[in-house]
Amino acid sequence: MIRVDDLSVRYGAATALDGVSLSVAPGEKVALIGANGAGKSTLLNALSGVVLKASGSIRIDGRFAHVPEGRQLFGDLTVEDNLSLGAYRGGTRNPAWLYEFMPELGRLRRQRAGSLSGGQQQMVAIGRGLMAEPDVIAIDEMSLGLAPIIVQQLARKLSELNAQRGLTLLLVEQSARVALALCDRAYVLETGRIVAEGEAAELSDSPFVEAAYLGRPVGAAS
Amino acid sequence: MRKDAGTVYIVAIAVSSFALAALLDDSSLSVYVLLTLTATVTIGVSLLMGHAGQVSLGHGAFYACGAYAAGILATQGFPTWLGLLLAPVAAAAVATSVGVPLLILRGHHLAFATLAFHLISLSLISELAITGGDVGLQGIPRLSIAGVTLTSVRSYAYLSCAALLLIVVITRNILASRPGRALRALSSSEVAAASSGVPVGHYKLAVFALSAGFAGLAGGVYAFYLGYLAPGSFPVMLSIEYIVMAAVGGLGKVSGALIGSSVVFLLVHGLSRVGTLNGMPSTAPIILSYAVYAVLLVGAVLFLPEGLVGGVAALGARRRARALAATSEQKERAPSELQPAAVASERVAPKHGSLS
Amino acid sequence: MSAFLSYLIHGISLGCGFALIASGIIIIYRITRVVNLAQGMFAVVAGFSAASALDAGLPHLLAELLAIAVAAIVGASTGFVAIAKRGTSPQASLIATLGVGVFGYAVEVLTWGDQPRSFAGLSGAHELWGVDVPSQYLLIVPVTLLIFAGLELFFERTYTGKAMSACASNPYAAGLQGIGVLRMGLYGFGLAGALGGVAGVLLTPLQPVSYDSDVSLFVNGFAAAILAGLKRPVLALAGGLVLGVAESMVAGYARASYQSSLALLLTLAILIAQATRREALQAVEE
Repeated sequence: MIRVDDLSVRYGAATALDGVSLSVAPGEKVALIGANGAGKSTLLNALSGVVLKASGSIRIDGRFAHVPEGRQLFGDLTVEDNLSLGAYRGGTRNPAWLYEFMPELGRLRRQRAGSLSGGQQQMVAIGRGLMAEPDVIAIDEMSLGLAPIIVQQLARKLSELNAQRGLTLLLVEQSARVALALCDRAYVLETGRIVAEGEAAELSDSPFVEAAYLGRPVGAAS
Repeated sequence: MRKDAGTVYIVAIAVSSFALAALLDDSSLSVYVLLTLTATVTIGVSLLMGHAGQVSLGHGAFYACGAYAAGILATQGFPTWLGLLLAPVAAAAVATSVGVPLLILRGHHLAFATLAFHLISLSLISELAITGGDVGLQGIPRLSIAGVTLTSVRSYAYLSCAALLLIVVITRNILASRPGRALRALSSSEVAAASSGVPVGHYKLAVFALSAGFAGLAGGVYAFYLGYLAPGSFPVMLSIEYIVMAAVGGLGKVSGALIGSSVVFLLVHGLSRVGTLNGMPSTAPIILSYAVYAVLLVGAVLFLPEGLVGGVAALGARRRARALAATSEQKERAPSELQPAAVASERVAPKHGSLS
Repeated sequence: MSAFLSYLIHGISLGCGFALIASGIIIIYRITRVVNLAQGMFAVVAGFSAASALDAGLPHLLAELLAIAVAAIVGASTGFVAIAKRGTSPQASLIATLGVGVFGYAVEVLTWGDQPRSFAGLSGAHELWGVDVPSQYLLIVPVTLLIFAGLELFFERTYTGKAMSACASNPYAAGLQGIGVLRMGLYGFGLAGALGGVAGVLLTPLQPVSYDSDVSLFVNGFAAAILAGLKRPVLALAGGLVLGVAESMVAGYARASYQSSLALLLTLAILIAQATRREALQAVEE
């Protein structure tokens, strides 16, 4: 579904990604773990085509939705408009089906997106991504600034979608706990390079990952 | 080492400028006078845009301010040398008082505010009796300094050359000094400069007032040279011309301002002459000069943001880099290849969060 | 009383013209963050084009529509120069629009000469509350209202309009949804061109247009846009009307030469007040 080979991305003289390779198979749930500044968002931006690569290759089969870090909603528009615009590339523009799946969004539909709480905004952001009816969805820092219970809810919903509709997940996180709990496989990204990869359970147990990434409580900002 | 190079550079300019003033014939000298006056203003505009990062669409108003200050004083019976002396002072004073409220604004708001300032100034000049209103200020006496009255074009050429060189020396000294380093910090990042303790607001006001003073001095010379002033001599287009010259030459550098004003001024003047040849419609000079300004401005801002001076320097740097890469064993990426990644992210960088 | 009414009516018509120009500035700014200094030029080009079209024998409505189409094309071309090159900052784009405006001067003088031009609009006058109102005024107001209603509908109700608003709200996120931010920017410039064109076509019968008329048009339009907070186009209608009426009153009761300075000073006062408040808030946060 996603195949990245030896990808490098530079901003001027600084190297943000250096020879990164990873792959995500259809129906998989994969986590990408890394600290602030490691290059996670850059990788997603490269997958979206927002940032140009200096070298390497990217291959994505099917429709790719990128839910960016920090919600990035259209603050002046209503929730419904935000969701509807998620289908710009394709998919049904009417969010009725999404409201069935995420009724909270249905309740908020007429509200101005900028006036919602962090958790609500994150739900809208994910909803917007889902509106594109993607084959694979990448979510950047889903748990940042959210209460644990909300994060659990979101994780549950994503699991459902993965199980029922085969939605491929790529979760990008600083806080590894949630990501490793939800996903099957994981990569660890450090200063632009993949330093570890493997089954989520293995990485959970690895002392290296534990020291660097599991020491932080879930949902805390760095 | 650098200081010596700087002095050589200034001496070279001084010598060549004086030589031109001494050798050119009268008709070329009138072009010379206007060019040197324009260059004087452009140095200030270039300084303002390059270091304080402010687009001023109103510097023509400071040029007018200096001119009218000198002209009014002279026609009211004050000694002409006093008029010339007070011209930059008047312009700087106006800039300081106007700058305090205006410089709170940034970017396009400031650009608009400076444009508004120019327009309001024109309106004022056209209405007041002391400035001669729409008709203008006539009969400004010739400048006399220490008993010597300047009557020939050549004498004004020497004067304007001296004024330009004075401004060049002042500017270079400022840029080389401690405040100058603070200014350079300001131009690369206001936020960074502020957090390292640079009083950003004061510096911006100082550069604004200084650049206005430069324009005022040029205006003062202009008043005595022409002997007659009218609001029509200071249209908004004049302010735009300074911006074009500063941008084309390269912002923030004296050499940029000098090269930019020379290139643009002579090009436009040359084309205007072509436009007045037999067979050309009467509007040809206007059309050609506007077209040239426009193409140069757009070209400079889109393709040569560092101006001609910067472009040449970059070319030299690229050649050196390539030579280095060719001779070394390591594979090195040339600077131009790195640009696309950086450039692409500029327009759509995320508002929040780090680029992690 | 009738003097007041006639100033009022004149001010309202003028204000509608400003509002149209302001709406173009706002649309472009919201989508691209660029202030389009060439906005006045669109109106001037339309005025000239309509005059030429009418001279060439085209019937009235057709000539005006053609002129508006020309202005739209000029608008889109301006946008192309200003934003098509990747990595152009809004500041650089601003200067680029300045350059395009100056180039516009050259083209205008080349095509139409350097003398003012006008054309006859709606002839005759109607009596309204004891005042003789030229018919052209009566045309301006309903056309303007219709256009603003159309703009509101477009941005609030249509999918493309919402996509454009999204570009204005968050260009990064808009790009992620597949919205072509550059393309939307060009559409915005084209739309602004058309709006400027409408202003030009409506105002030229009232005041002859010359190649340098664009400065005062831009200044007034930008002032109205600032009064509207550079937000929704429909607010520019209020801003424009306030400005138009105020200027008309000043011209009528005080001196005509001061009317443009009024607009400028008012705008500056608001800009500085807004900026001061923002700085004060930031200082409090620190």
